[in-house]
Amino acid sequence: MDEFLQSLIRGLGTGSIYSLLALGFVIIYKSTQVISFAQPAFMLAGAVLVSYLSPAVSFVGAVLVAAVVIAVLALGVERTVLRPMVGKPVFVVAIITIGVDVVVRVVTNAFIGLDVRQVGDPWGLNTVSFLGAEVQQRYLVMIATTAVVTALLFLFFRYSRIGLAMRAVAYDQEVALAQGISVGSVFALSWALAGGLAALAGVFVATGAGVDQQLWIVALKALPAIILGGLESLGGAVVGGLAVGIVESLFGTYQNDFAPWLGPNFALVAPYALMLLVLLVRPYGLFGKREVERL
Amino acid sequence: MSGKRLAVIFVGALLLASCRGGDGAAPQEGAGGIKVDAGVTSEACPNAVDKSKGCIYLGTISDLTEGPFKTLAVPITDAQKAFWKRVNDQGGIGGYEVDVTKYVKDNKYNPQIHNQVYQEIKGSILALTQTLGSPTTVAILPDLEKTPMVSVPASWTSLWGFQEVVLESGANYCVESMNAVDYATEKLGVKSVMAVHNAGDYGDDAAAGTKIAAEKRGLTFENVTTTPGQDNQGGAIDAVVSKKPDLVILTTGPTDAAVIIGQAAARGFKGKFIGTSPTWNPGLLKSPAAPAIKALYMQTAPWKAWGTESVGHTAMRAALPGVTPNDGYTAGWVWAYPLKAALEKAASNKDLTRAGLLAAVRQLTSVDYEGMLPSGAGNFSASPQDALFRQTTLYRPDDAAPTGVTLVEDFFTGSTAKDFKFEKPCYQ
Repeated sequence: MDEFLQSLIRGLGTGSIYSLLALGFVIIYKSTQVISFAQPAFMLAGAVLVSYLSPAVSFVGAVLVAAVVIAVLALGVERTVLRPMVGKPVFVVAIITIGVDVVVRVVTNAFIGLDVRQVGDPWGLNTVSFLGAEVQQRYLVMIATTAVVTALLFLFFRYSRIGLAMRAVAYDQEVALAQGISVGSVFALSWALAGGLAALAGVFVATGAGVDQQLWIVALKALPAIILGGLESLGGAVVGGLAVGIVESLFGTYQNDFAPWLGPNFALVAPYALMLLVLLVRPYGLFGKREVERL
Repeated sequence: MSGKRLAVIFVGALLLASCRGGDGAAPQEGAGGIKVDAGVTSEACPNAVDKSKGCIYLGTISDLTEGPFKTLAVPITDAQKAFWKRVNDQGGIGGYEVDVTKYVKDNKYNPQIHNQVYQEIKGSILALTQTLGSPTTVAILPDLEKTPMVSVPASWTSLWGFQEVVLESGANYCVESMNAVDYATEKLGVKSVMAVHNAGDYGDDAAAGTKIAAEKRGLTFENVTTTPGQDNQGGAIDAVVSKKPDLVILTTGPTDAAVIIGQAAARGFKGKFIGTSPTWNPGLLKSPAAPAIKALYMQTAPWKAWGTESVGHTAMRAALPGVTPNDGYTAGWVWAYPLKAALEKAASNKDLTRAGLLAAVRQLTSVDYEGMLPSGAGNFSASPQDALFRQTTLYRPDDAAPTGVTLVEDFFTGSTAKDFKFEKPCYQ
């Protein structure tokens, strides 16, 4: 039972990271209909920034500052690089985000230097007794932080005027524009939110062993999460991210005992297998919007 | 002139051009009566110390921007620039200076890009002072052999022992792991070993060496392949924790190694880890996994670390003032010695053509590494079995050491590597 609980908490912890990343992808997709492949670079940049700031302003202060700075950076990228592309095919814009990702990563890499950098988190690999099982503190922090951030996001979209504007733009851009909503501001804000979330996710990834220039690869795990949860659903992003983390962890722990015939490292494939299973039953993801098109 | 006649002349010119022998210039006599062809000019190098000397151009294809080995590749490249500058400051080779700054290309650790940039520079260089990575170099290997282009690898796969155009230095990953298992068997009394490694010839070569040594020593052997990425190490950690081997031989990147060691230790694993040289980065000593790394980890290395006292190490440190100590510099510097020796031999043979350089390589029975490798290293004239360098060193983490590791065992050859019949690359 202890082993199961430990595996579950590990899965929920890493799943929380995937959820934060997936939320960023979905927020941008909902407002602009584009999947932004620049998220991995913002994640890396956030972690690197915290590694520089944390000795000076404490870990928590560094995370807050980095989230804001990366949000402003993402907003700036949207205003300068993406805004002129409004109206162009989404495929073209998506390709441009790949270019943004490469540029931001190359610049960030220059700040990593030769040694692995540390974010200076207070938890290390320390454990705490949780429901009778020894689990790492950092996983509990990741789960709690993601829960708080998700709750704040839902409140923001539900009750704030800007949140309402963002939902309106997601629903129909032209109608929203006709109602006096600044669609451009919504685009910029969605990029800023996604940037801040990516920075937070990057810091959590780096709590294990540090920041190297390959950290960005983790962000790719958010892709099965958003497909699984549904591209237009914030709740789907959270559930999808957690599902990917849990499936990965439980398969890693138990697959060798119960299904060794699946081969080594099936845990890495398991989230994609789950995604395919879900898509067979629900082609638009667990919480995705069914598209109805007139032919 | 009619269009038809123009076409005939054009086709004729094309045919003549194609008969020139590809990119290689026709051999001609250069300074000091030395025969030269591609990559050697009578004009001085761009930043020549002595403008009256000609120039030997060497190419560099490395992982300089966004690839996974940038943190090793950049110091390797900088060290080699410093190495060849020192050669030029000391008078050059055979009346020529050496330039390694004009033809430097980024491969992004991608075999296709590696081949593409190689094709761009191959007509202008005599040899490659660096071709970083095993899969990337394999992508151009047929061309290297055909040209022939003498090349210095920035990798340690056992495949290079069978390629006469490739000038490898030190022991390969396979031998490193054999020696690691032998050491752990004799000094730590291990009875079981697990190879946790990346796929590809880096990890596979080390895993093959581990398996050979485990079989020879009668140890239980487990093989676990793991994918790069901090979030992808769960399977390897679970395997280590559930199988509880006495020894884990690691061949991954540094942060992946730290995740595996830290998480396995946090889950109660008490066995030992020995990693090949690319698993180490001094920054890991500040990571959350540092206590576990200090308690459980050791590192094999093909040569001694940055802070060692030898003529070569001292020259290297003097040539690279102000840099953050990193054994990427050490690797780049060591790897350049055989090419320097081959160029000197070719110059004394009065033949600095590509074929002449390869012939000179075949005449090298040993290379003077200025104390960075023991005497006898750098035999390129014998068969792979006889030429294979089988000595490695062993290090442990140490906060006080310049690159975070301190010597535990000086150059040694374990009994497995000593008796090993080297007839093909270990991983094949």
